Amino acid sequence: MNVLDVDHAAVQLAGRTIWRDARFAVAPGSITAVLGPNGSGKTTLLNLILGLVAPSEGTVRVFGDVARRGNRRVGYMTQTRDADTMSSLTGRDYVGLGFDGPRFGWGRDRNKSEVIRRALALTGTTNFADQPMYSLSGGQRQRIALAHATVFEPELLLLDEPLAALDLAAQAEIVDLINLIRDTTGAAIIVVAHDLNPLAPIVDQVLWIARRQVRCGTIDEVVSEEVLSDLYGHPIEIVVTSHGRRVIVGLEEEFAHPHPHGPDHTHESAHEHFAEVYEEETS
Amino acid sequence: MSLTNLLATPFVLNAFYAVTAVALAAGAVGYFVVLRRQAFAAHAIGHVGFAGAAGAVLLGVSPIIGLLVFCLGAGVLIGLGGASLDDRDAVVGVTLTAALGLGVLFISLYSGYANATYSILFGQILGVSSGDVVVVGLLSLGVLVCVSLTYRPLLFVSVDAQSAASRGLSPRAMSLVFMSLLALTTVVAIQIVGVLLVFSLLVAPAAAAESLTSRPLHALLLAMGLALFSAWTGLLLGVWLGGPVSFWITALASTSYVVARLLDASRPRRVRRRVA
Repeated sequence: MNVLDVDHAAVQLAGRTIWRDARFAVAPGSITAVLGPNGSGKTTLLNLILGLVAPSEGTVRVFGDVARRGNRRVGYMTQTRDADTMSSLTGRDYVGLGFDGPRFGWGRDRNKSEVIRRALALTGTTNFADQPMYSLSGGQRQRIALAHATVFEPELLLLDEPLAALDLAAQAEIVDLINLIRDTTGAAIIVVAHDLNPLAPIVDQVLWIARRQVRCGTIDEVVSEEVLSDLYGHPIEIVVTSHGRRVIVGLEEEFAHPHPHGPDHTHESAHEHFAEVYEEETS
Repeated sequence: MSLTNLLATPFVLNAFYAVTAVALAAGAVGYFVVLRRQAFAAHAIGHVGFAGAAGAVLLGVSPIIGLLVFCLGAGVLIGLGGASLDDRDAVVGVTLTAALGLGVLFISLYSGYANATYSILFGQILGVSSGDVVVVGLLSLGVLVCVSLTYRPLLFVSVDAQSAASRGLSPRAMSLVFMSLLALTTVVAIQIVGVLLVFSLLVAPAAAAESLTSRPLHALLLAMGLALFSAWTGLLLGVWLGGPVSFWITALASTSYVVARLLDASRPRRVRRRVA
């Protein structure tokens, strides 16, 4: 049985269609990368799988059942930021909340410290788990966040931009860790990302969301000039460097179609697009 | 009368029991106030309490009834309306000014206002009756039981609302639970230290504790301990040396915060906090 089956799903937020006609499945133990411009609905896809948003059409089935909130088989790693309140805790305490944080009452699970110890060992965070999180580097913090999201042994793991704001060396370490988590726990993993290149070696399939459409397939099937040109509605060129990195040219056309956020956000979103194009062309 | 005899008088004993109950509840709830960065909401609920107590005095009923009605009402309003960070300050600010305006009206309608106003604003710790002690004790005990039962989920939504929501917790419902606990704690604290000094027991000990340890349970217990220390020592100094007990409690709580920050700053090899 598939971990996730999405069939002809569409999603609307505040009356606006984010994307429609998404059809894909996620097999146990596979890694799926989700790509697309800012505001295209990548995080919305994760919220749909978590049962925080309902599809306006079609079905989203998680382990064969309708997606629902609080499913213990689904883990979620949020985007972490510097000033988050979680930073005043030690890593060990934050990981512990991933284990029994949702539970009310006085009881304490006897296995708790052992389960946390294992999660810390798997993510290589044992040495700095007792420091407050504000004293950690970005990469160390992401490792703690991965331990938080995996400590209750979910079979499907959703990661929202785990590589954001990391330098290349730290990105490579996190990619290795994601692969290790998949191999060790057998969990299926869905990773939202800005840049496919660091993830390419471990990815089994790619979901690309743009212009309210969702394309799914292997890297070779989706990341082709034909498919992306069709998805974006204008010519896209893909240059493969001698190191095997794909440089995608032509996404800057998105500039011409700022998202309808209202006047205050137009400038900001155009700016973000620029950053994204710049990253994808240079990294 | 010697100090030992003075400490055994009924009004000092009542004050001792009341201040103990209040300090424990305020320390525990205060930890979450500091963690959730909701000091402004705590401040506002105290001032809303002023309006409630003034209204009760005007109607000739016990101030605690007015406090309960107004503080819980404000807690629910802020909890529901300000669950997201974006509009929290605005909701709190509007609630605060609306209530203060009402408070001014009630006070102006009540003729013998000076005494009543003074005790609402600054507390009347040595005027606590045995009946008050029972009410304050039961409310504090209720708050402590609720905090211990909701400790983990409350901590989870406070440090990472998104992750908590993905695990089935409702940040809005938890915000409501927390604001209700905060409102009840404010009601009992106002009995002792008054509206203007509620902060001394609610925020200062917790802020001191939070800067001394990053383990949440340790910080919570330390906050309760520091609040208790300030309250007991403040009561003792007030009885022994004279001067308002509220002053002593406030001075001790503020001093413990300053000392904690100095200790935190002087600790070696410690990366400076990036969060305010």
